[in-house]
Amino acid sequence: MKRLSIVQYINSKTFLLSSVFQIGDSKEINARSKVLAVQRQHELFFGSEGEELFPVFTKPIPKLDISAPDNIYRLHESPVLSVRSVYLIAASTAAVVHIGSTSTVNGETRIKHIRQLADQPSSPPPSVPQTAARITKEE
Amino acid sequence: MNYTVINREMHVGDIYLTAVTSSSIFLIGDADIINLASAFDTPPESLIIGPFVPLTPKGS
Repeated sequence: MKRLSIVQYINSKTFLLSSVFQIGDSKEINARSKVLAVQRQHELFFGSEGEELFPVFTKPIPKLDISAPDNIYRLHESPVLSVRSVYLIAASTAAVVHIGSTSTVNGETRIKHIRQLADQPSSPPPSVPQTAARITKEE
Repeated sequence: MNYTVINREMHVGDIYLTAVTSSSIFLIGDADIINLASAFDTPPESLIIGPFVPLTPKGS
């Protein structure tokens, strides 16, 4: 048996990138996000980037495979779970804000973060890539 | 092993949150199983100082 969730007031500004604001019970939540974050000192983007996968996006993450034990006894002396107010600015990247009960939550996020800076602080951005140098990844 | 949990009264006042991101969950309620994983890769070579070249992962 699950408790009743009561929230009197909620104020949130932004939900973006597959985030969910759920009011009410749910059974199963599967949240997945993959992010390739590239920051460059100059405004420059090569169209084909990100089409090939980095290992961080494919490597399996070890998972604790647990199931709900059947010899756990929950006694809800009060059937209510109450919150006066929630102030939330933003939910992003497959985040879930959930008022109500659920059963199984599975979340996984994979982020690759790369920063590229220019050689000289004031060198202008090249209009075309001059070299074929490659940035290789360890396995 | 038997495991007993007694949930007594739960009354929360005001919650102030800036952000919930990256497959995280903010839950007001009960759950049976929560399984969250995260991989964040920013290795030394992820800070590249030099000519701007396209990103090319290994094996291509």
